[in-house]
Amino acid sequence: MNLGNLDSLTFFYPELILLGGILLVVISDISLKGLRDRVNPLLTLAALLLALFYTLQTDHGSAMTLFEGMLALDNFALFFKAFMLVAGVLVLLGSLHSEELAAVHQGEFHALLLAVTLGMLLMANSAHLVMLYLSLELVSLTSYIMVGYLRSDRLSNEASMKYILFGAVSTGAMLYGFSLLYGMTGSLDLFAIRDALLAQEVVGFNQVTLMLVVVLTTAGFGFKTAAVPFHFWCPDVYTGAPTPVTAFLSVAPKAAGFAILVRFFLGGLSQPAGEQWGFISGIDWPLVLIVVSVLTMSLGNIAALTQNNLKRMLAYSSIAHAGYILMGAVLLTGTGLKAMLVYLFVYLFMNLGAFFVVTVIFNSEKTFELQDYNGMFRRSPFLAVAMSIFLLSLIGIPPFAGFLGKLYIFGAVIDQGLYWFAVVGALNAAVAAFYYMRIMKHMILENDDRPPTPLQISPLNRALLVLLLVPNILLIVFWSPIDRWTANSITLFGGL
Amino acid sequence: MSVTDIVFILTAIVTVGSAVVVVVSRSLIYSVFSLLFTFFGVAVLYVFLGADFLAGAQVLIYVGGILVLLLFGVMLTHRLYNLNLTTERFQPIAGTLIAAAVFASISLAAFKTKWKLVGEKELEPTTQQIGEAFLSSYLLPFEIASVLLLVALIGAAMLVRRRTDV
Amino acid sequence: MTLQFANVLVFLGVGALFIFVNLLIASLIRPSKYSEEKLIPYECGENPVGSPWIKFNIRFYVFALIFIIFDVEVAFLLPWAVVFKELGWIAFIEGLIFIAILVVGLAYVWAKGDLQWVRPEERYE
Repeated sequence: MNLGNLDSLTFFYPELILLGGILLVVISDISLKGLRDRVNPLLTLAALLLALFYTLQTDHGSAMTLFEGMLALDNFALFFKAFMLVAGVLVLLGSLHSEELAAVHQGEFHALLLAVTLGMLLMANSAHLVMLYLSLELVSLTSYIMVGYLRSDRLSNEASMKYILFGAVSTGAMLYGFSLLYGMTGSLDLFAIRDALLAQEVVGFNQVTLMLVVVLTTAGFGFKTAAVPFHFWCPDVYTGAPTPVTAFLSVAPKAAGFAILVRFFLGGLSQPAGEQWGFISGIDWPLVLIVVSVLTMSLGNIAALTQNNLKRMLAYSSIAHAGYILMGAVLLTGTGLKAMLVYLFVYLFMNLGAFFVVTVIFNSEKTFELQDYNGMFRRSPFLAVAMSIFLLSLIGIPPFAGFLGKLYIFGAVIDQGLYWFAVVGALNAAVAAFYYMRIMKHMILENDDRPPTPLQISPLNRALLVLLLVPNILLIVFWSPIDRWTANSITLFGGL
Repeated sequence: MSVTDIVFILTAIVTVGSAVVVVVSRSLIYSVFSLLFTFFGVAVLYVFLGADFLAGAQVLIYVGGILVLLLFGVMLTHRLYNLNLTTERFQPIAGTLIAAAVFASISLAAFKTKWKLVGEKELEPTTQQIGEAFLSSYLLPFEIASVLLLVALIGAAMLVRRRTDV
Repeated sequence: MTLQFANVLVFLGVGALFIFVNLLIASLIRPSKYSEEKLIPYECGENPVGSPWIKFNIRFYVFALIFIIFDVEVAFLLPWAVVFKELGWIAFIEGLIFIAILVVGLAYVWAKGDLQWVRPEERYE
């Protein structure tokens, strides 16, 4: 079904709510002088929760396109929309009691958070190259501003600047790739592109050009997902940005990048054939992505080994996780895609949790250095145990949620007979265990001479930590609903 | 060679030549003013492609807006002349090789690919077609562009503001 | 259509000629006697001190930024303005939504004092 502009509005409530939220937050920021600091977070939270409610309510029957083919509404998009909104809610709650952000006025922060979430929702279901580019740009532009939000902080400014420069180059490369694709197929609609490629049988030099398209567009998607070799911005940006923003960037735009990567490659450049997608003859783009995936996780993990700044270490760790997630996307199978979704889902809770502990510790200690985490267990056992659970989950040790993600990913890879790929992944997980354990060692085993003064944690932050711990511990028990949900979410709209 | 060809070749020379000046000039002011010719040249190239509205928008936005912004940006810097614009990590050989590879691959792609051609088409004014597309099949991108501009406006105003408590 | 743009080309050519021909004639007929005083930039009779390049006020930059945003808005609204009459009320409302979103932005920069040349709180700093 292909809905026109007016009919599409019934399926567009989440985005409309977010748009209304942006405008309301800006208006309240400039009109309610005394109340705005209390009203804005509530407005933002209400908009995110209401959008989440409508997203979960959406019953689209069969897959269809909205707005004259601009957006594809399918279970895959709904999974990512729910994911982005949950991430938005968690980051908003995490930012409320953050000393870094408390130094500046936060009115714009809330408007920007809503705008970036709106951009990611659109990214998740773009089915048209114009829409894809525009939503990606909305997310990127908003992220640049959020990274530079602490404008009296030089590191934050530098991070924003680097992010803009890398972003401009990689989106430029991606646009060039799109233009080549348009020249070859005469269309900007993903499904029309695929049909045109199938109809004309890519032969001769067109294969080389299509390969060029794959490489150039991978630059754009790789930038968003921080995959090697488009990751150079990542450590500096993650270190310079306010920690709640770093936590957000390491999860939500990354997931949105994977969403468009899958939609572009599986929706636009592959033949749909039931469980298994076949790539259009002549171009071996999965091989490009397998190489990217191996490089990403290896480089991320090895670079993380020597870091002493927590934010930097977690930045490299999130690069490595992008490699694992990519493993699922390159397999071209339903199981691979499902594994990717499961991994993303557990990654949301474990990574946000780890960053949130860093935020809480910075609130009272004003430091990100690993040395200063010594003796944390004696000062706040709760915090040290929480961090340990998040880290064990990131390693993938049962019974924590991260194990579920690794299990699905490696299972899907072995299913396809790519044993060497699974071995590379397992080796990486072993390397990763080393530096995650190092953090735990500093927090629990090493003590310094200072008397262990108890660490202050605000009630809201404590509650949020518990909220993040619950899925990390309990997901393994409730894996069957997740299994069903993700299995249901891999239906990609394939065109009419 | 027709008049159109001559104009095209002249435009191409001016566009590429001024772009080279932008890169190699040691004075920021010269770079910015040379960019003026690049932007104009691109506008003329749009006309050759039959995109008259795009050519107008190019002049309106790039020449009229972005160039002025760049000029103000240059005026904000301390040093204008004799800049050493390369950083400490200057790798001429690797850089040249990569640039040559990129140039070779995209120009080969341009010449050897079998493009999907639409054939000779009567060129006609595009403004009206663009307007109709904005209001029908491209309505969503049109409105989202407005949100993008709003975010850019808020971000631009906020990041250059000195006080942090408003 | 290309022919219509030939008019633009002629305008550009005549404009360029106008400048260069005038300069050429001037250089032909003027007497050329240079002295050191003549080569100094004119500054109300005083000898200039230091570099003529001064750091601009950052507010120029802010205004240029805001100007570009609305410049782009105009570029978007131009095609809309050409066709909205034929396409009826819905098209008109669609354009209004586009403008309304940006009006919120204008209200934002206005209320935050970014449009004032000297921001009130900075005046006495």
